[in-house]
Amino acid sequence: MTVSADRGPSKPKIEVQFDRPHRQHEPREQLAVRYRIEGCDGERIRAIEHSVLWYTEGKGEEDLGVHFFQRVTDRAMMPPMTTASAFSTPLPQSPLSYEGVIVKVRWCVRVRLFFEDSRDFVSEHVFDVGHIPPARMPSART
Amino acid sequence: MPSMVSNPFSSRHTRPGSIAPLDATGSPINLDVLLDRLHGFGGTAAIVGPHGSGKSTLLTHLAAALERQGGRVPRIRLHSRADVPAVWMAIRRASPGDTVCIDSWECTGRLVGGLLRMVARVTGRHLLVTSHGRAGFPELVKCTTNPALLRSIVGCLPDHELWLGTLVHTADIDRSFANHGGNLRESLYELYDRFEAAVSQIQGVGGCRSYRPCRSCGRRPQNS
Repeated sequence: MTVSADRGPSKPKIEVQFDRPHRQHEPREQLAVRYRIEGCDGERIRAIEHSVLWYTEGKGEEDLGVHFFQRVTDRAMMPPMTTASAFSTPLPQSPLSYEGVIVKVRWCVRVRLFFEDSRDFVSEHVFDVGHIPPARMPSART
Repeated sequence: MPSMVSNPFSSRHTRPGSIAPLDATGSPINLDVLLDRLHGFGGTAAIVGPHGSGKSTLLTHLAAALERQGGRVPRIRLHSRADVPAVWMAIRRASPGDTVCIDSWECTGRLVGGLLRMVARVTGRHLLVTSHGRAGFPELVKCTTNPALLRSIVGCLPDHELWLGTLVHTADIDRSFANHGGNLRESLYELYDRFEAAVSQIQGVGGCRSYRPCRSCGRRPQNS
């Protein structure tokens, strides 16, 4: 699942590549991510933020934890000088990804672009940590 | 790819601020017009409406718009009368001219609410509140709901073109609206369950939990 939100005319696109097949990672292992930014149409970027975080998803209150955060302000590391970049971080032991009915726990890589004109663009890329089987509804309504 | 798929009706996508404010016809609300109206009231007013009619969503967007105008806008959500001291503190800490946004003003009660309103007026703080009634404030806007509005909101949720009409149908939306007497929040919660049930059905049949065409099996979700 990719969630993107922008507040401006240009439509950037961020392609993220994970180092594990099927974006399936184990707790405590190293997460390595490469990404490519496209579609900035010459707009100047002021900063790029990389984060690895988990969040809960459901009907009620939400929870969130930022595991890794990095802000890049070096122009040599941004478009148009560089369109591809990478970062890595060791994953923690928990929480594990969980696909419940009432609540879900998701991990994601978030890349956020801050443009010179104060607009921003966020791209999220979900991955799994661990192997908890998804919960099933007792009886699926039709 | 991860087996997980985001439920578009989860709080993450439907909480106040995530959805653009829409009027009863499903059209985007012009915040500038409302801000002008608010200034015309001297900066203090109430967003009025029943439970789940979009008051908190509108308050969130108006507060953000006020901040963009350069103001300091403290925000408080009341859950019960026990939270009233937080309102008092927010009014005290605010500077003259600031707008304090308070969600669920009715929790203050008539007497305490009147007192807080008076303190804010005397000290030059503005109050923008949500309430089920006017509670002594000028009425900035009255929020109402109808099935078409809920359909418009659902049509704004992520990836709706992939699941609307396959996993969730217009009839489901109208049914949930009727089941909850027009309460949009409760209707969206019911649709959350509806979505989970539909996805579970796909999982049960094909083992693939996605409303997108599956990359591994190529299967598309079927009508449920």
